[in-house]
Amino acid sequence: MSNLAGIPYYVLEFGDELVYFTPYTITLFLLALTFTIFVLVSRPERQVDIAFGGDAYTTKEITISEMRFRRFMAIACGLASMGAMVTGDIFNFTLFTAMVGITNVGIVAAVKSPHVQNAAFQYGLVALTATVPLFGGAAVYAAATGSLSMIELAKGTLPAVPFVAKAFLVLGVIGEGMAPFYAAKAEMFRAPGAPYVIMCSLSSLLIFLRVIEVVMLG
Amino acid sequence: MIAELVLATVFGLLLLGIHRKVIARIQRRPGPPVWQEILHMLKFSFKSTWVPATASATLFIGVVLVAIGIWTAAFFVVFTGGSLLVVFAIYMLHKIVEHGFGLSSGSPYGKFGGVRSVISAASEIPLFVSVAAIAIFTRSFTLSDIVLYQQVHGPLLFIAFPAAIAMYLVILSKMPSGPFSIVESKELVSGYKTEHFGVWRAGLEVCNGLKTTVLFSTFILVFIGQVPILWMVVGMVLLVISLSFACALTPMLSPFDSVTVQTIVTGLMLCYGTFLYVGGVA
Amino acid sequence: MQKHAARIAWAGVCISAGVVILHMAGSVPLWAYAAVLVLMFPVIIIGICLWWMAKGGKEDIPFIGY
Repeated sequence: MSNLAGIPYYVLEFGDELVYFTPYTITLFLLALTFTIFVLVSRPERQVDIAFGGDAYTTKEITISEMRFRRFMAIACGLASMGAMVTGDIFNFTLFTAMVGITNVGIVAAVKSPHVQNAAFQYGLVALTATVPLFGGAAVYAAATGSLSMIELAKGTLPAVPFVAKAFLVLGVIGEGMAPFYAAKAEMFRAPGAPYVIMCSLSSLLIFLRVIEVVMLG
Repeated sequence: MIAELVLATVFGLLLLGIHRKVIARIQRRPGPPVWQEILHMLKFSFKSTWVPATASATLFIGVVLVAIGIWTAAFFVVFTGGSLLVVFAIYMLHKIVEHGFGLSSGSPYGKFGGVRSVISAASEIPLFVSVAAIAIFTRSFTLSDIVLYQQVHGPLLFIAFPAAIAMYLVILSKMPSGPFSIVESKELVSGYKTEHFGVWRAGLEVCNGLKTTVLFSTFILVFIGQVPILWMVVGMVLLVISLSFACALTPMLSPFDSVTVQTIVTGLMLCYGTFLYVGGVA
Repeated sequence: MQKHAARIAWAGVCISAGVVILHMAGSVPLWAYAAVLVLMFPVIIIGICLWWMAKGGKEDIPFIGY
């Protein structure tokens, strides 16, 4: 356990990958883990549709093959969010964020509903576009400071990070599904399969919370 | 700490009871007794309970545990003077809990509550900007540092007044029967909590009690500073009365208007934050 | 199920009490104490409620209108 500008942190040796925990990131990591376990062990709900004007109702069933694919994508999304929570490397963070964007489309891509497909397509376009400032931000970090390690950046010995790098990084993360780009995401929530669909929202919220910590370094 | 945890839950429920009572008196109704929410929680806990046939059982139950768990964690963070960022993160993650409650049952009402909770995500951003504005003054996110700063410089309520208003609106958006409570509005029966009945609802009430205490005490700690416990209680009661006036006198906004108002507040707060950052006020 | 819930609730109470005593004795740090309570508090609440709730009732479809 070391101390970094008043914040205690714990570095986990993991090959040449830099992984570290602070009280803030471990809270986020544990939540990502909890909801990934929910995805693993829970079955999707059956959405009830009401036939108006009577007592009739129908329930939507999810086929096994559709469920398998969506569960795989949701678990991948959970793993990417967990990675983004604990990584100590700016480039890895952007990679995980881009992966969250892709898996979010994947989670709803198998749903046979035109509304959901349309929303997923629009969201996919925004997420893809957002990867440009995202990776651009990481590139400016590397060019300006010579390091992508968050621990090195936090020490304050490197040159200051330009404002534009931080702005690019935040813009990229916002494009992955925060306000105002979440509008397409709300439509994606029409899809049945609550445990999987929740991962869409959880992952983008978590990466947004993490990027706040990232831009405060350096 | 266990005694404090239970007391905080009961006190939070009492605050929600006062909230209902004040709203009722403003609207010239007798209203329920102030301890009604506590009785409510107990009443639900005694009811026969099961999981709906169409629900995703693990998520349906798990999300109740997560709801209580995250606010217990938030309570400890506030109680030990931890990081304001963690409280902020937990507040944002409460959204996910709302999604989980709404979507896990398969009920169309719950689903719409959950979807509304996604589109009202704009209500969380003013909180972030107000936290950032506070950090520009105090140069720290730790609650104990913020309290120390206020002992030297006076309450942040006067120093960073717009930030206080933004956080007040954030708390207002989580109060029942408020102008922004679109996630539990009555045209959706009970919105996201429609299908969580009996024991599950009792769990949600416990979460609501803790959430109220945590949010109110955070507001007082951050904007007024460390005060004796009695004054803390008085402050929280005054806060709930003022919120009740806001809730009783404003109609519930339509979902799009609610999001628009919250987006405007976010924009104004961003301007304020930029002004502080660029102007180098602190 | 209610017997099961009672067992879970009691297990939660015992674990929490154990951690409280260990914390008072100084062998468990504050963060570990808080972490155990964060995990156990929801379990105890839901466990106790499921234990003392009324018997009966069987699963049904969600509410679909008045």
